[in-house]
Amino acid sequence: MRGDSEHMVRLDGAGRRYGMRGPWVLRGVRLDVRAGTLVRVVGPNGTGKSTLLRLLARIDAPSEGRVTGRPRTAYVPERFPAALPFTAAGYLTHMGRVHGLTGGTAARRAEEWLARFGAAGHAATPMSELSKGSSQKVAVAQALLADPELLVLDEAWTGLDTEARAVLDRAVAERTTGGAAVVFVDHDPRRLAGHADTTYAITGSSVNRLEGDGSSAGAAGALADGSAVVIDVRGPRGAAPPVLPEAVVRAGGTVRSGAGGVDGVFRLAVAAVHSDLVLRELLTARPPWHVVAVNQGSRGGGVPDARRGDLAAIQAEPVGDAKAEAAVENDDENEDVRR
Amino acid sequence: MTALLRYQSALLLRSQRWLAPAVLYAAFLAVGVQSGQPVLDSLAYAAAALLPVAAWLVRICVTNEPPAARGCTAAAAGPRRAHLACLLTALLAVTLLGVAAVAVVAGISDAASTDHRTAVARGPAAGAGLLAMLVSALLGTAVGALTTWPLLRSPGRAVPALLLAAVLALVTAGSPARAALTELIDGSRDGVVPVPLGAVAGAVAAAALAVAVSCGVCSRRG
Repeated sequence: MRGDSEHMVRLDGAGRRYGMRGPWVLRGVRLDVRAGTLVRVVGPNGTGKSTLLRLLARIDAPSEGRVTGRPRTAYVPERFPAALPFTAAGYLTHMGRVHGLTGGTAARRAEEWLARFGAAGHAATPMSELSKGSSQKVAVAQALLADPELLVLDEAWTGLDTEARAVLDRAVAERTTGGAAVVFVDHDPRRLAGHADTTYAITGSSVNRLEGDGSSAGAAGALADGSAVVIDVRGPRGAAPPVLPEAVVRAGGTVRSGAGGVDGVFRLAVAAVHSDLVLRELLTARPPWHVVAVNQGSRGGGVPDARRGDLAAIQAEPVGDAKAEAAVENDDENEDVRR
Repeated sequence: MTALLRYQSALLLRSQRWLAPAVLYAAFLAVGVQSGQPVLDSLAYAAAALLPVAAWLVRICVTNEPPAARGCTAAAAGPRRAHLACLLTALLAVTLLGVAAVAVVAGISDAASTDHRTAVARGPAAGAGLLAMLVSALLGTAVGALTTWPLLRSPGRAVPALLLAAVLALVTAGSPARAALTELIDGSRDGVVPVPLGAVAGAVAAAALAVAVSCGVCSRRG
């Protein structure tokens, strides 16, 4: 994993115009993308957001000024064409190889990412026959399959269905927690609200840095909008509280001890996009944490108390012997009632 | 680079846009080359025809990938390497075409000088033909690289420029292609198989320069 202060890409007085005498789209841009951060770019339509992203992805060179840093980069364009003479899996395998994977790994990752986006059934479909939404899934999978160090997303969510958007949100959280940098543009201001470490606003041809999210929501916004997931975990007797990854904490993730008045149980409240990776860390820790309960927070109520039986809750079964017995007894009681 | 070449070759092959230049080239050979003609003359004719085909294939390879997909490839591999892969794919494809043409032409032609009196060894003649093909392929690639994206973007200007440049590369004094063809035709007249290595060196230099210029500006012009 890279250090937090490491520069991925840096623009130094960079400007770009199309043609020798064209007007400047961007000028005097100072911008610095650090490892492990999420960067949002905002601005009205036609102000050069895409131009800025293409500079950062190093697809285009600046007309003046400098770009430094060349991380392994993946880019998702605004509109991805279907006019390629490959099947979805075929194109992804080619792109995986271009990203530096071996053929076998590329094919496997292609399959995995298509499945993750719910497009596994389209693996053998020619690209020219894909719907706009499926085509966009291929574009996004192309960028994610090689675990890039810098991920540049130009309205990548547009055209995706709701489920695929959520998958992309989580994939972005995984990349930043894993030490990669993600730069994105999206027309929806709620997209990853509260997660961005830095926001750059384009006004005219200049780019201004805003701290954090750039909105009033702040760091806790990610949790306050009701997208929190509350996880209760129990460790060995006297265990120190679990340590959340930095990106999770920056997005407002918290740890409290003595959840529900029970000693040794810690209650973690994390943004929904981070829930999978926090659970993965908890379960793969040495020694692993025992997950007592996982609950989805209620809308608008900040961080709620975990309520068992919540419709949206995913309840983890207790694994301890005593609890397993208790569960069996419960079942017996239920049977009695039914009789 | 292997991955890029593989991707670009698959793209060229599956797009079937290679068919038109390949079929036209075959037709051109069918019209101009007949069995029993002097081998070096026929090889010179086949090599000359390959130059515009090479330029055309470069144009096809460079414009084959939709711009958005090109953005993805350029971000992953770097725009210069991605563009270089397009040009190399075209060069490889046209070289294959040239090798096939030499095999056919050397096989069916008469192994003799223009007046059919002096014998010309078929093997060395085919070798000279391969070098002439290489010269045409390299110069054609140079012409193609300089007359398509990113240097010339509107097809209205690019296509006439490509045709004009291809003709000029064949007839202008001092051009390696013209030098190689002249050596072949003179060799056929005298019954001596030439080795046009000087022309190959000139063509390599010209192609390297053109490719460097094209790759150099590809990230500057959107």
